[in-house]
Amino acid sequence: MDPSFILMQFLSGLMMATLLFLVASGLTLIFGVGNVFNFAHGSFYMIGAYLAFQVVSSCHANFWLSVLAAALGAGALGMFAEATFLRRIYGRSQEGGFQILLTYSFILIIDDLVKLIWGTEYKSLQRPEGFKGAVNFFGLTIPSYNLAIIGIGILVVVVAWLILSRTRPGRIARAAALDREMLGSLGINVPLTMTLVFGIATAMGGFAGALAAPLRSVSPGAGIEVIIDSLIVVVIGGMGNFWGAWLGALILGEVNAFAIATAPDWASLFSYLVMALTLIFKPEGIFSSRRVRKV
Amino acid sequence: MLTRKSCLWVTLALLAFLVLSLPVGAEEKIIKIGSLYPMTGRPGIYGLDSVDAAEMAIDEINSKGGVNGYKIQLINTDSKAKPDYSVMVAKRYITQDKVNFLFGVVSSAVGLAVTEVSKQHKKIFIGTDHASTQLTTDKLQPYYFRVSNNTFQSMAAGAKYLKELQKTKPWVTIAYIGPDYAYGHDQWNELKYNLDRFGVKYKAVGEYWPKLFAPDYTAFISTIINEKPDILVAGFWGGDTVAFIKQAQPYGLFSKTLYFSPDGGGNYELMAAMGADLPEGLVLSGRHHNNWPDTELNREYVNKFFKRTGRYPTYAAEGAYTGVYAIAEAVKKVGNPDDTEALVKAFEGMKIKLPEDPEGFTSYIDPKSHQIVQEQAIGVTEPNDKFPPAKLMLGKWKVYKAEDLLPPADYIEQLKKK
Amino acid sequence: MKTPEAIKEFGFWSLFFLIFGLAPILDNSEYHLMLATHILIWGMFAVAFNMLFGVTGMLSFGQALYYGVGAYSVGLLVRGFGDTWFLPSIIVGLLVAVAVSVLLGLLVIRVSGVYFTVLTLAFGQLAWQVTLKWYHFTGGDDGIQSIIPPGLLGNNRVYYWFTLALVALSILALKRLVNSPLGLTLRCIRQNPERVRFLGRRVRRNELRVYVVSSFFAALAGCLMAGADNSIHPDMFYWTTSGEVILMAVIGGIGQFFGPFIGAAVIIIIQDYVGARTEYWSLIIGLIMMTMVLLFPQGLVGEIRSLRTRLVSGERNRS
Repeated sequence: MDPSFILMQFLSGLMMATLLFLVASGLTLIFGVGNVFNFAHGSFYMIGAYLAFQVVSSCHANFWLSVLAAALGAGALGMFAEATFLRRIYGRSQEGGFQILLTYSFILIIDDLVKLIWGTEYKSLQRPEGFKGAVNFFGLTIPSYNLAIIGIGILVVVVAWLILSRTRPGRIARAAALDREMLGSLGINVPLTMTLVFGIATAMGGFAGALAAPLRSVSPGAGIEVIIDSLIVVVIGGMGNFWGAWLGALILGEVNAFAIATAPDWASLFSYLVMALTLIFKPEGIFSSRRVRKV
Repeated sequence: MLTRKSCLWVTLALLAFLVLSLPVGAEEKIIKIGSLYPMTGRPGIYGLDSVDAAEMAIDEINSKGGVNGYKIQLINTDSKAKPDYSVMVAKRYITQDKVNFLFGVVSSAVGLAVTEVSKQHKKIFIGTDHASTQLTTDKLQPYYFRVSNNTFQSMAAGAKYLKELQKTKPWVTIAYIGPDYAYGHDQWNELKYNLDRFGVKYKAVGEYWPKLFAPDYTAFISTIINEKPDILVAGFWGGDTVAFIKQAQPYGLFSKTLYFSPDGGGNYELMAAMGADLPEGLVLSGRHHNNWPDTELNREYVNKFFKRTGRYPTYAAEGAYTGVYAIAEAVKKVGNPDDTEALVKAFEGMKIKLPEDPEGFTSYIDPKSHQIVQEQAIGVTEPNDKFPPAKLMLGKWKVYKAEDLLPPADYIEQLKKK
Repeated sequence: MKTPEAIKEFGFWSLFFLIFGLAPILDNSEYHLMLATHILIWGMFAVAFNMLFGVTGMLSFGQALYYGVGAYSVGLLVRGFGDTWFLPSIIVGLLVAVAVSVLLGLLVIRVSGVYFTVLTLAFGQLAWQVTLKWYHFTGGDDGIQSIIPPGLLGNNRVYYWFTLALVALSILALKRLVNSPLGLTLRCIRQNPERVRFLGRRVRRNELRVYVVSSFFAALAGCLMAGADNSIHPDMFYWTTSGEVILMAVIGGIGQFFGPFIGAAVIIIIQDYVGARTEYWSLIIGLIMMTMVLLFPQGLVGEIRSLRTRLVSGERNRS
């Protein structure tokens, strides 16, 4: 392998990792802060893609505006779902199981609602103006939109770090992850915090869906295709750990990129193999901050 | 708490009542077709098109008085593209709904499962839109017929195209990318077999197997670019084609390498979804084209479908349309839809003029393989906005004779041995 | 002396044999026979699944793995060596399932709660992907067709009685297990694992045991399904299969031993009914699922029971 090809594959891996991370970050955020396992996270990703399509095609809006609108829309829907449905099962015995079932029912319902609203035809979004071509450097051709996405990914990581470590809401979120009851007794409105965090998490799903839309087909069932991959990312990194999701995505993206270049026959198995190996040695993921098993 | 619950029970009861009271069927002399099209997820668009086209054919036939006094009736159940569920529905069709024909199916896996039911219950199964060659070769059973091309036929046409291409644009290296399941693997094996059969010299430089519905092809694309094959054969369908082309285009893949997808790659939903983003010069085909052949029958079919649904059909639709007409034809010959053995005889060798037949050719069902024999046209993407929202359609057609595309006997033998 | 538990059990069995014993004699429809076969097999699968979730509190999202292992053991052996292998292949399938579940079990029971759920889901998906990928061995996504049980069993009616007998025996065995000291320990683990440990019981070993037992019967369900449908498919490994069995358990009632069986019957009938009438089946199933989770978390059987208790106590209050 010559060096320029290695760089090229590295960038391909980074690109895949960034999109994986953008989807998985919301999933891991709500698990880390709210202890909620949102199996329907992929559905919010799908809704984001459809919303972006709708905004662009009916308002002829700028693509970046439509991404923003998609994130807000998915977030609002997420907040509605949390406040109306999920909230009712908090604290129930075997809550985890019921969470999964409830969010599974979201998947089924959202799938059909999307079909009712937008039909089964494939929708498509163009890349935004200025990001249609490619950038040439070191004899490599890299699509500028890919570079933009990598950039956005880095931006999200930095902003999230700043918010989580430097601001009061960020500290509340981290505290909520540790001890929800204590937070309540300190006078923080815990239910509101939960709704907001759930909204932010689903908004990130919608954001990722909208960003990925110009690269993929917007079609029913799109949510299912990403949820399993993001689940693998989250599991590898350690559920609920933001940095773990980032690392998990990076590992998965790069392993895939170089494995495809060397053994393309087995491409469909790599993600699962990485996951299985990680779990055999660290069942709670690489970055698990807490002890998973108390007993 | 109790009152809210009782409210809910009432709502549930109402819902159940609504569902229960939906009409199920009528009496009188009817030919009942039980179809199993997926209406959800990625293949949902094909299911929707198929059902619409089948109903269009049925309305046409019934408005002319039906067949021998019989009216045709279609019942469709969303197969969810799941084989085990489809088996259940097929059995329901046969034993409860008493259908005369099993019909449809987009996925080959569902096709293989349903043909098993058809065999055991001796109920004719008309395949309209699944491509696995197995169904009309080694897995063929007496009650199965297919009215659309299989992958072998597409790949034979493809191999001929590539052979001719070598004369004008000498190419040597060829690579393949396709979904990692039977449909993807079959296409590549069949293409290589046909290239060898036609004596084409080539060098295969890579095969790439992303999983079906993979969202991201970036790493595959950069690897292929590094490999620089002259020809890239793609075995994708539907949304995967869209995603791959969208992601590969800015890399400049299509200017260095000829993109070639002769089975499912040229389906209309690709043109519709990509609009002006679709690159020019891709070599594609499908099992029916909205702008080829330029015959009265095809124009009429496409326009009627558009008037009925407000969209142009994918090739799945023409398969279903054909299937209904083939059934009508067979029943006309036999006189009733119940004499299965006589119907099988009627299908064998049946000649039927279809929208996808060019002037001077009539499709027919090969009596030995139960496979419809059709011409295949391969085209190149070029600007054409007559079928919006598509901005490009296929053109510069090359047409391949139907008889040349059938699998030879030794190939079928080889499949059976496996 | 009859305890309420014994009365309930007696009620279930009399109903079970009344319906499943008489139905095929009174109703001649082959389709209904098949539905009944499916209900029996899924019912057993759901009851076995509930040993993990309802009794022990471990929500596995990967029981499809064992269901698939059973089905593919039968399918591969019958395809390779002929239909006389049908019965031996069931035993092979069960042994393979036990071996796999012991190995995987040791891995997954190291974690609990949602971690356990996600881990089982991940390994189930791994098995699904391997089945798809290992085309030459498993037949890939085409699956395996023409799995016809040999001799008399090839007759659907005979196969039904065969299934009925095996399912009845299995459920009986599971019921015994729940009432055994192991069952008691398991229920204690759900409520307070710490205390079980203090009492000198090994939590993990018991969890592993119940995981293996549950997987064993999931595999048996897969084996039986291969013979009932005559064809198998990698989707049997897919997470939606695990999801379906969870749904059955919840609808029926996870707190009740027989609840999941009732849930399986209800779901299969609803799916058949809704599927035949609307393509929006997923919306309807989703709404039912949501309603059950939010308003009737005890499931049909549990809710009916508590409703009865409430009515009885209400009457007492009035008098």
